[in-house]
Amino acid sequence: MSSTFICKRPGGLRIRRRRQACPTFVLLLTAVVAHAQDARQIVQEVQKRARSDSQRYEGTLEVIGAGSRIAIKRWVFERLGSSGESKALLRFTAPPEVKGVALLIVNHPDRASDQWMWRPAIGREQRISLQDRSTRFFGTDFSFEDLEERDVNQFDYKLLPDDAGEWKIEAQPRKSSQYTYTYLWVKKDNYTITKAEMYNKKGLVRLIDYRDFSQIHGIWTARTTEVLDVKRKSRTILKFDKLDYDVPLKPDEFTVEALQRES
Amino acid sequence: MIPLLMVFLAQNFEQRGFIENSTFIYPQTAPNDPAQVINDTLFRWEVSYKITPWFQINGAFDAETDTHQEVERTFRLDFTDRSIERPAFSARRYSATLHKGKFTAELGRQFIRWGKTDILNPLDPFAPKDYSLIVVNPDFLGVIAARGVIDTGNNSVELVWQPVFTPARTPLLDQRWTVIPEAAEGVAIQDLGARDPGRSQFGARWNHIASGYEYSFIYFDGFNYLPLFNAQFNPANNTLGVQRYYPELRLYGASAAVPLRWFTVKGEGAYFSSTTPDTDEFALYVIQIERQWKEWSFVGGYAGEARTHVGNPLEFQPAEGLARSFLGRAAWTIDPNRSLTIETAVRSGGSFTRFEYSQAYGQHWRATAGYAWIRGEMTDFIGQFHRNSYASLALRYSF
Repeated sequence: MSSTFICKRPGGLRIRRRRQACPTFVLLLTAVVAHAQDARQIVQEVQKRARSDSQRYEGTLEVIGAGSRIAIKRWVFERLGSSGESKALLRFTAPPEVKGVALLIVNHPDRASDQWMWRPAIGREQRISLQDRSTRFFGTDFSFEDLEERDVNQFDYKLLPDDAGEWKIEAQPRKSSQYTYTYLWVKKDNYTITKAEMYNKKGLVRLIDYRDFSQIHGIWTARTTEVLDVKRKSRTILKFDKLDYDVPLKPDEFTVEALQRES
Repeated sequence: MIPLLMVFLAQNFEQRGFIENSTFIYPQTAPNDPAQVINDTLFRWEVSYKITPWFQINGAFDAETDTHQEVERTFRLDFTDRSIERPAFSARRYSATLHKGKFTAELGRQFIRWGKTDILNPLDPFAPKDYSLIVVNPDFLGVIAARGVIDTGNNSVELVWQPVFTPARTPLLDQRWTVIPEAAEGVAIQDLGARDPGRSQFGARWNHIASGYEYSFIYFDGFNYLPLFNAQFNPANNTLGVQRYYPELRLYGASAAVPLRWFTVKGEGAYFSSTTPDTDEFALYVIQIERQWKEWSFVGGYAGEARTHVGNPLEFQPAEGLARSFLGRAAWTIDPNRSLTIETAVRSGGSFTRFEYSQAYGQHWRATAGYAWIRGEMTDFIGQFHRNSYASLALRYSF
């Protein structure tokens, strides 16, 4: 569920024709384009370094509202496939009342993901779709948009002056989003995102802090992610335990039938 | 050796369950049932144990008691759920699951759900319900069956053979959810039991997940788990004897789910035909749209019916009873612990509206309070229960 930026492989994408710039504008635009390319290349490098064929972790999510903890949830997450064309399975293990609830996400490179939820209480899967990606993830301070895979090509980037020795990048979504722009902080030595600030027209909405980095199979990974909902003044801390990459997983564990079989 | 075995067992053993106490308060009396406060306590424990990566056994156990004699007072473990009263101790599920590659089989008592919509499911011929506690909010019963599935990811073909019939559990004749017509007041009603079908049932389903939508087709050959009634009046002792029987049923159906930009459309429909004389033949369909908006979820739809043959009027058919209704549900997740739900079914002769507030306390406890308001005329399926509006309070400990 970690937030990732995706650089789609050639062939998996429709190539958009761009209008050719009028020669008189070319020189004027060169400097700006070069700057934008730098920012895009940085984000592409972030994605490239985080790439793995599969992932597994046990997540703990703690919601802290008005200074006191009000909820804690745990789950097991498994992903098969590289970002953009992956399948992911999330199974809740705690609290007891949601134990067995499972979410299957099938990501597509060219359209919104397909999602099914299994609830043991009703004994069948339900196709779900989130027309509103600003919906909070199971009542936490993360929205579903914060946790979904992001395509590098769905954003325009601008490299801003360095901040605290890190690259500061402005990402503006090309498609519909609850945010008008996001600031990303990227460490120069290992290309990891350490902080993100999400803004809408009214100002700062969410602040996400990535920390407790360690290298797992050569991938620098934040083991703790904390989000602050500025308006509600509540925080959610997401911790990743037993995180591993390139674990052996079978495709038949990521089907709608498997949701029922394994729950 | 023993610690190693314990670690092995722990890794392959899953369990969950709850104990819940529910209290129902009926402000109005019913002619055949003076009780206005009913308490029900249910313990449910579900386990699974994966013996090998391809073989798993599953079980679920219920223990229940109540203040209203809807639950048996006999000390026995029930395996089929075919009794008139709810069993005090029930093996709700016992099955073995085999899985190899694209093939999965489950053998034993299990739950089989084929419907896609959320409010009413015409495509659930293998999912009988227990209507004995609350007709408008029933629980599901497992069926003893063999189920095989070949799943390629985008296509799945499912075959089900059910050798042992499991009927829906209807409300007891002397309880408020069985509404006695005014003309029969003063007549003693005697339950003459059920005439169960003599053969097995079969069903097949093909489900296809396409680019951005999915659909399925199903075929079922068996019996309707909802009963028709034979009634015989004996003037000598002023008694009406009632016997349940289950008509043959062939069901042809289809369902679809299509997520669109602004909302998701789900629908399912089926044609119910029968070779049993005096049985209704009809098409039943549901079309619903749903939308998630921030912390709200909305579901609204219409359940319709087209009847091609009218049969025995002495029937208990909640699915048909909810047809020709506008159905809606709105739920608000206030925070991770609190939620509010409103759901309603409105038809020309009656309506049902339920409000429910639920709050979790810590990791294990949840309290749910609600009120269900039922209005309507005696000739309407929902309306006939107009004296059964109720308040409910449930306290659950999950583990």
